Amino acid sequence: MNYALLLQLTVQGILLGGIYGLIAVGLSLIFGVMGVINFAHGPMMVMGMYVSYWILVVLGIDPYLSLVLVAACIFVLGYLVQFLVVNRILDFPEAMQVLPLVAIGLILENSVLLLWGPDPRSPKTLLGLAAVPLGSATIDVSRLVAFCLAVAITGSILLFLKKTDLGKAIRAAADNRTGALLIGIKVDRINNFSFAMGAATTGAAGALLIPLIPLSPHLGHDFTLTAFVVVILGGMGNLLGALVGGLILGVAESLSTLFVPATMKQVVSFSLLVVIMLWRPQGLLGGRR
Amino acid sequence: MKKSTRKGFRLNRRGFLKATGAMGLATAAGGFPGLVKAQAKEILIGSIQPVTGPLAVIGQGQRRAAELAVDMINSKGGIRSMGGAKLKLLLGDSQTQTEVGRSEADRLIKEGAKIIVGAFESGTSMAIATLCEQRETPFLIDVAALDDITKKGYKYTFRIFPTSTAFAQRGVAFIKEILAEKRLSPKRAVVSYVGDAFGKTQGAFFIKHFKESGLGIDIVEEISYPLGVPDLSAEVAKIKAAKPDLLFPICRPGDSTILTRELYKQRVELMGIISPGSPGWYEPSVIKDLDKLVLYVMDNVPWIFPESPVYKEANDLMLKRHQAYLETNNGYAFTAILVVADALERAKSTDAGKIVAALRSTNFKDHPMVGDAIKFDENGDNLGATTAMVQVLPDADPLKRVKVVLPKRFAQADYVFPAPQLWERG
Repeated sequence: MNYALLLQLTVQGILLGGIYGLIAVGLSLIFGVMGVINFAHGPMMVMGMYVSYWILVVLGIDPYLSLVLVAACIFVLGYLVQFLVVNRILDFPEAMQVLPLVAIGLILENSVLLLWGPDPRSPKTLLGLAAVPLGSATIDVSRLVAFCLAVAITGSILLFLKKTDLGKAIRAAADNRTGALLIGIKVDRINNFSFAMGAATTGAAGALLIPLIPLSPHLGHDFTLTAFVVVILGGMGNLLGALVGGLILGVAESLSTLFVPATMKQVVSFSLLVVIMLWRPQGLLGGRR
Repeated sequence: MKKSTRKGFRLNRRGFLKATGAMGLATAAGGFPGLVKAQAKEILIGSIQPVTGPLAVIGQGQRRAAELAVDMINSKGGIRSMGGAKLKLLLGDSQTQTEVGRSEADRLIKEGAKIIVGAFESGTSMAIATLCEQRETPFLIDVAALDDITKKGYKYTFRIFPTSTAFAQRGVAFIKEILAEKRLSPKRAVVSYVGDAFGKTQGAFFIKHFKESGLGIDIVEEISYPLGVPDLSAEVAKIKAAKPDLLFPICRPGDSTILTRELYKQRVELMGIISPGSPGWYEPSVIKDLDKLVLYVMDNVPWIFPESPVYKEANDLMLKRHQAYLETNNGYAFTAILVVADALERAKSTDAGKIVAALRSTNFKDHPMVGDAIKFDENGDNLGATTAMVQVLPDADPLKRVKVVLPKRFAQADYVFPAPQLWERG
């Protein structure tokens, strides 16, 4: 066994896993509060990437610095989607909730295609090429920054939900919708806010990915699936679970390169999904907390 | 109330129909002789490209180049041996689907196309070749590399693009030439390829010919990854662990940027990056995004020959009309129309047999591509077709960085090899 390679792959897996976690946290939050699976999640992330790219190209502001602005834009987008569409389908059977969200995903994907064209883009960024050695391995700085920010954002969302009144209201609405309504929580607004927040986190993740992944309008759906796998790994609606699930998936995908060609990566992640479903259907950390 | 009491001309429905009917009759009987004669001198050429679908950008570029070539020929007096007959394109769209391409070809033949030109994809070209053989209509392939298309003994199919085998052989020969000239003997190489149909075929052909070449270089690792892969850090870690001297990547524009940046970040030491023939290295967007990192990458591709007068003329027109450059794909689409015009000139007829005979004896030099005079062998493959080794070299104008370095007689610059390491470029 080549230990240098093993170390390199593990480090990369952990760092990538942090970003998977951040994307999945948003999905998990939305599911936790409303019980809706946001199939437009990946395309929303791609939207975040393009907004961030656009800010970089037009204003010359690096993705790390425009992070908050991008998150705010996608927050507004998420708020609108929830307000205009999702609120009206909350009581529909699950199969019928899927289609409008898939449709929104397609609309977003094609809007990006219309606005920015099909060519992959990979702009130069501040830390895009920086790397630091760690023993025999090298750590990619943009990956490290993305990981740290992802963990920090997830942590602050958890704190927000535990400590603030709004956060407590969100948890109350997630726990028992009728109960929350009875004690005077405006559940509709809570829904709008949580969906928007979920969207904003995935938008932020998109901005963090700019130095790592070439932008392309069609990236979104793969990430929806990845986020979905991560959420199921950690437990539907469990935010900490999403982060843990992200790390596990990141490392598993990275290490799988040792044994199978990269074309089979998705086989690894979905096999992992099947195993978890059989062994712990509620997810590693349990659902909806 | 009485009708038509008023003097003067008042047009009603019946009157109009009578008048136009009479005019139509008069035209059909006596007609406008000049017009009829002019129409007879129009030669229809069916052009089929993937104008919509995933390859639309390429297909549209090819269609524009073909139209450009037709206009150029017509403005210079058309086909002189047929009294200055004008060429006219009948346009077909394969929608990037084999079946659609075939039925479009069928439609164009029914509409009177004397020859079909196309079709960019190998699958579609194969289907059209079979159809044209049945319909006894000549078919000239502009771009499509798969060997098998011309291996079936078809009489009506010709191709100006190099075959996959020619591609791989030329690539290996170029590498040999470079190593011999620079007196280098690398020992280890890694081949990486994108896992779609194109990447797999290109990779397999190259590996096969490379192993047969007797260069004494081991391919120590073969790495494939899916099209549109978002991350190659693990793959590059594997490349680094294999300690190669040379990297032979077969990419698409998206993954070439991730690959190169990862190679930089993980400090993979290489003598050079030589693509056996793939996109991802010469596109203006890639050159802009990667900047110094893409310098010194070599790519073995069919290429335009910027020194040729035809290239200059066509490129100027292309820039003026479409703000686009003549490149490999639209260049071959352009060349195909020139070859058709040349064959028609010598055939002096639109009879299929005569066009085929004329194509067989083609010896056409005035084209804008790197390659010798176009001559067809018994399979219909172009004996003069070759790839070029291009290298991205420093130039203040990013659009002029891609230079032909081999074959020597087409070279615009000397190649740089071994290349400075990615992180040693200031």
